[in-house]
Amino acid sequence: MRAALADAVRRLRAAPGRAALAAAGIVAAAAMLGAGVTVSYGLTTGFERSAQQADLPDVLARFGDEEREEVEERVAALPNLEQRTYRYEETSVPLSANGESSEDGVIHAVRGERRGYAILEGRDVTADDLDGAVVERGVAQEWDLEVGDTISSGSQISWEIVGIGVSPDNVAYPLASSLRIYVSGPALEEAFDFVLPVNMALLWSTEPERTDVLLQQARANSYGLSDLRFITREGVEVAVGEAAGIVIALLVAFSIVALAAAGAMLATAAHADVQRRLGTIGIQRAVGMDRRAVAVGFAASGAVLAAPAGVLGLALGTLVAAGPTGALLLTLNELPPGGALVGPLLLAWLVVVAVVALASGWPAWRAAGRPIVGLLRGSEVARPRAARGLSRGPFGLGLRLALGRPARLGGTALVLAACTAVVTLMLALASLLVDLSDDPASLGKRYELTAQLDADSAPDVRALPGVEAATPRYELDATASFQLGQPVRLIGFEGDHVPFEAPPLADGRRLDPDADGLPEAEVGAGLAEALGLAPGSTLAVQLPDGVEERFRVVGVVRALDNDGRVAYVPADTVSQAADESAIAVKLTDGASQAAVQAGLIDLGAADAGEAEAATTDDAAFLATLAALLRAVALVNGLVCLYALMQALALTARERRGTIAVLRATGAGRGHVALLLGGVVAAATIPAVVAGLALQRWALGPATADLAAGYADLQLTAAGAQAAGVAVGVALLAAFASWWVARRTTREPVVVGLREE
Amino acid sequence: MSARGLATLLLTLIAAVLLSACGGGEDSASAGGSTRDATLVDEDNDGLPEPGPGELLLDRTEIAPAAPLQSEIARIGILNDPQIRDEESPARVPFLDRLGAPFTTTFRPHEALSTQVFAAGVNAIAAQEPEAVLLPGDLADNAQRNELEWAAAVLNGERVDPDSGDPGYDGVQRADNPDPFYYRPGVDAPQQPGLLSDAQQPFTPRGLGVPWFPVLGNHDILVQGEVPPTPELEGLATGDEAVERLDEERLERLDVPPDSALAPQLVQNLLAAGRLPGDTRTIPADPARTLVAPQEATDLLRDAAAASGADLRARAGAPDRLDYTADIGPRVRLIALDVVNRQGVSRGVVTPDQRAWLAEQLEAAGDRWVIVSTHQPLDSSVGGPEVLELLDAHPRTLAVVNGHTHSNEITPRDDYWVLSTASLTDWPLQGRMLRVLETRGGGAAIETWVVDVEGEGLAGKARELAHLDAQGGRPGGDRGEREDRNVRLFVR
Repeated sequence: MRAALADAVRRLRAAPGRAALAAAGIVAAAAMLGAGVTVSYGLTTGFERSAQQADLPDVLARFGDEEREEVEERVAALPNLEQRTYRYEETSVPLSANGESSEDGVIHAVRGERRGYAILEGRDVTADDLDGAVVERGVAQEWDLEVGDTISSGSQISWEIVGIGVSPDNVAYPLASSLRIYVSGPALEEAFDFVLPVNMALLWSTEPERTDVLLQQARANSYGLSDLRFITREGVEVAVGEAAGIVIALLVAFSIVALAAAGAMLATAAHADVQRRLGTIGIQRAVGMDRRAVAVGFAASGAVLAAPAGVLGLALGTLVAAGPTGALLLTLNELPPGGALVGPLLLAWLVVVAVVALASGWPAWRAAGRPIVGLLRGSEVARPRAARGLSRGPFGLGLRLALGRPARLGGTALVLAACTAVVTLMLALASLLVDLSDDPASLGKRYELTAQLDADSAPDVRALPGVEAATPRYELDATASFQLGQPVRLIGFEGDHVPFEAPPLADGRRLDPDADGLPEAEVGAGLAEALGLAPGSTLAVQLPDGVEERFRVVGVVRALDNDGRVAYVPADTVSQAADESAIAVKLTDGASQAAVQAGLIDLGAADAGEAEAATTDDAAFLATLAALLRAVALVNGLVCLYALMQALALTARERRGTIAVLRATGAGRGHVALLLGGVVAAATIPAVVAGLALQRWALGPATADLAAGYADLQLTAAGAQAAGVAVGVALLAAFASWWVARRTTREPVVVGLREE
Repeated sequence: MSARGLATLLLTLIAAVLLSACGGGEDSASAGGSTRDATLVDEDNDGLPEPGPGELLLDRTEIAPAAPLQSEIARIGILNDPQIRDEESPARVPFLDRLGAPFTTTFRPHEALSTQVFAAGVNAIAAQEPEAVLLPGDLADNAQRNELEWAAAVLNGERVDPDSGDPGYDGVQRADNPDPFYYRPGVDAPQQPGLLSDAQQPFTPRGLGVPWFPVLGNHDILVQGEVPPTPELEGLATGDEAVERLDEERLERLDVPPDSALAPQLVQNLLAAGRLPGDTRTIPADPARTLVAPQEATDLLRDAAAASGADLRARAGAPDRLDYTADIGPRVRLIALDVVNRQGVSRGVVTPDQRAWLAEQLEAAGDRWVIVSTHQPLDSSVGGPEVLELLDAHPRTLAVVNGHTHSNEITPRDDYWVLSTASLTDWPLQGRMLRVLETRGGGAAIETWVVDVEGEGLAGKARELAHLDAQGGRPGGDRGEREDRNVRLFVR
């Protein structure tokens, strides 16, 4: 093996230009891989990593204000309980610091050893820390706060910031509208000589897999606690994901697809390199080298090349993607992977080396099995059957030359097709993300406005000019009663919900709000999958007032909202306990939205905004996403350009004699460029067609399914996008042709003629 | 399947293979029997009890110094408070359970399995080879005839059909009951599909095979252990209407007394009307649910115990009282006192007649060692302290054994020991063995150890549920301290 490696190094040194070209390809593909690994690992593990670092509890119970002793008596009796602590949460507190202010502050008076948030800078508040506070990272960043600064509530109370903390139980400010600080509960009690009530209990299970038994006992022991809500880690993840979960899922799915494409590129590049060196294999076989030694030699030279190139490429891809990924994680109150990324990158590096070694060794093994004479003659050159009927000009000659190397042509076309597919997918993804943030229809919403008005106002709203229909809409976040860890969002419309909100029906039928017996429900496919529901089964939901409401599932809808964990139910089942109630307003065609909004305000609506879409429309968040997509696009474009230039450079080198003859007969740089254009067109045209088809029928559906199998996401590129990609590839091809022609024509004609 | 899912599956398979290779898992966890060999603990507090090391006997010498042991003079098993319950009965108030203490005994997540748990307890005690078994009260839970009959059948190894009403389960734990304050095994965690229907299946227990001696408990003759039967309650118990959910407003308005001693009055008030306000449901009536009067209960228990070979010598002139004496071997005399208050409420009462009769029996016991048994602890019963003083004065008093508290506790009295044992109703579902020995120098000693019920089948599931119960014996500390369980108690 050592001899094979030494031989490989010698071989690479003997042809440094060729080695550099091959290494460039590996660098590009590895960069793609590095970017993919950074994005997918960072985002998929973000919540769990942050939850672990923050020591997020397994269950977060919220309830009305209660005496701590009373709650402790009940909580202490729960099984599978490792530890618990309590908080008092005060909302809508005015907070100001560093010239910034908000009326939407939240103060958590904390106590106990375990807090459920991670301290990133400074220290935590202690039991006697009356003047200290920990502020959340999002607040600190947005308001430019540091440890040692002061944050105030009104003119009377101020705290010194002793630490910067983060907890992934919510997205970060300002993506979250409220900003949170933590102060010491015991210190407040000591200073003001009173006992704080509690309204939150943080519970850590001994055995997290058995949190359900803890929850079941907690429920059975909770009579009398008002507005009780259990949120498990899984529920927190879903709730946090509401702002960006689908985006993350899409990005991760996209990265996985990109990883696969990068793998294909690596294999193709290595394979093409072997094809180019078939003559060498013939010579090796002619001098008596056995087949295995030939294959090992090629595999070793591939590995020797791939080892440093892989490191470089992975580092490059990681650097490009780490910034935007980190920014996205910050927005989600999650932590970047840091050193934990080394493991996956190391694995990726091993994959790069292994793929290149295999892709070099396997074709060499196969080639070495062919007759030696054929190898020495370059037997991979096809007979010019395909050339018949082609133009006889330089472009046609280029086409014929490309078709003369079918293996290389196929490899180049494969890489270009993968690039085309990934770029098209990325554009489709970008469009979808815009739709998800802008278009309520992405949630199946068919109404345009929501007005914060009492249900009784619905007739008045209907009477407004420009209003086609209006009905009260209720929303309530609850938990599944038979699986208390599973969150459920109940949505109720008075009357028929279909004219207002109707994600596509995947199974069963629409609900009848007036049906006899158990009230009916349409459940999201995400919920159906989580709870094993189907038409005919029973959905049981635990409401915050302690009541269990049961529904007969009659339909399954492909809803995107809340990870598909939604249920459309008759309004009367949720109207009393609803978290949110508003009037959903549908406009007539051509009606002025502004005029209707003004009318709603006149009716007394506290707010009359547009219907919400599937994800946040926060500008900073969307800008981060755009940066991430641009980073992936940049790496992908480099791969594409490399593939083109590699194919052309090899052709130009092999056919330098032919080109020299052409030049000797008066052909200028333009003719040579045209010839190379023919070479590149032979690969590009089928690659673009195949790439677009691949995106439309394979990668797009696969990504959508990976990201949100519970919903219908359209990841098909628009015609203009497809055309744009085709033009882009053509421009890259033209650039590559021009560049290589320029380099080729710098060489004196006589040098090429000598070779001929 | 995702890569993560695949990895989890593989790890699970590997763990399962390793566990089976090590002989761990279910078999060990289901072990019952003497806690001198192994006992169930939840050291890691994950809600799942697992076998822990056995507990050897500790010497307790607060009354007398340790002395060399000589011959065994009696070997007695104790099974406390099985509270066999007809959980489908309409004469119950499970809806009060959600109010917490002092109503936590009105519903238990494993309540449908009381006959199976009792049978497992009987098996575990029988395996310790006692010559007699003492049952210090509350064989039944709700003063129903069918409950007492089931209990007697379990003890005598006769066929038990624990179902009442129509065949199949029809109580508050039905999966279709949308009241989340009840554990519904079909849908709630830990899900146990089929548990309730399995619990209704007839079975034939092995029985004790030795004489058993019952003590009357408040639950044996008082509805819910609190209220004397009335015609209205009789109608409720044998009727076809069950209250499943007390009217919510009324439930919230209930003036729960801060003093738990007054809570029975609330139950009494609720039940006394014979009709409870709330959501009612029509159920199949069952005359076997008839409530027993004290005379019926004592007759039933005397007859059933006699079938086991027990010779209960009744107190003359008090046929409705289960006061009696019995010899367990030639050197030990058992005196049972029925201290259940016939007027209602769970607190015990010792009448002057009983005290006088007890004094006579102590005198008559001669030089036999005496064990006195009541259901309610004497120190908290009306007239109980006086009885204790009487016992203090009798030099051959060995121990007072009571039930009712559902917890393991052993306390020294002047010259004898007072023993409470965990129940077969709440965690830790244990019985107790007493081995009486004479010591050199004319004294005596009791070797006692607690016994876990057998953990196979439905009893094992009941044990798991009892352990999870946040209102049960686990948080209540019913297992007791180390010195309340396996000890050697010296007397004189």
